[in-house]
Amino acid sequence: MGDYLALLKPRVMSLVIFTALVGLVIAPGHFHPVLAFTSLLCIAVGAGASGALNMALEGDIDALMSRTANRPIPRGRVTRDEAMAFGITLAFFSVMTLGILVNWYAGALLAFTIFFYVVIYTMWLKRWTAQNIVIGGAAGSLPPVVAWVAATGSLSVEPLLLFLIIFFWTPPHFWALALFRSDDYARAGIPMLPVVAGPDATRLQILLYTIVLVAVAVAPWPLGYFDAIYGVTSLVLGGGMMACAVHVYRRRERAESLRATRRMFAFSILYLFALFATLLLEVAGRAIAAAIG
Amino acid sequence: MSDRREPDGIVLTEAQKRSRRQRSIAIALALGVLVVLFFAVTIVKGPAVLNRPM
Repeated sequence: MGDYLALLKPRVMSLVIFTALVGLVIAPGHFHPVLAFTSLLCIAVGAGASGALNMALEGDIDALMSRTANRPIPRGRVTRDEAMAFGITLAFFSVMTLGILVNWYAGALLAFTIFFYVVIYTMWLKRWTAQNIVIGGAAGSLPPVVAWVAATGSLSVEPLLLFLIIFFWTPPHFWALALFRSDDYARAGIPMLPVVAGPDATRLQILLYTIVLVAVAVAPWPLGYFDAIYGVTSLVLGGGMMACAVHVYRRRERAESLRATRRMFAFSILYLFALFATLLLEVAGRAIAAAIG
Repeated sequence: MSDRREPDGIVLTEAQKRSRRQRSIAIALALGVLVVLFFAVTIVKGPAVLNRPM
């Protein structure tokens, strides 16, 4: 049972649930809690299905990398076919349930997200180009959009801003990981940026993407979509991300570089979590103010 | 002559029987969750559950 849970990539799933929750909460209008729970459950199961299908398709390279060698398929505890059947079943039920119980736009978008992650990213981009996680990052950026569409039945600027924040967050986050795991990726023959272009080019790309990320993350405040609390938090956290990126860019000696990239990787998780948590707090604050006023 | 017959076909090991049992429980739980979910949403939506726009 534990092996099947591991196939769902619970840590990735928790981030998906959290970002989708923010998409639901900031959506306008009343959305019944039962429908909100159903939407979150379907998005979570869809993310788990993507994880299982990803592991089914990457069993060969997972076995070659120390970070992934303990996954159920390389360890021989689950077969590739079992993981594939598990993933397809979950994908089918998550999409159909979201479509039938909530709305078909959201169901279709969830199906597209799973397709993009499994076919476009896992089967095509990952083994083909150093831009794999840049383009593939779109799949990880879609859950708050799916949640918004589930709640409203339409699209708007706010979920697209959340999409852009996660989209530009993905490259610095994963390239920081790839920098200190580049031996692993080289052994598995995956063309991650540090393997293909070298660590210095990767450090520059991390810095450039972080500059864009910080600008994109702050932009909703002056544009009037999110409040000042978000804007100030975004600036402070953005300063932290910039400091980490500059450290990664400047510290090139092996031990120092390792420390800087690990710090960047860890801080980037905190950054995204805190940024989205601020949006939740803003909505909660507005609800309390409305109740009092 | 013994009355006991040797089993035909594939004989599952204890570990395989255990995983089959766990799999059956997981499928039963998942089906139960689906039934509860569809029931709850039907109650929440009321007659609107029959209204099925794109």
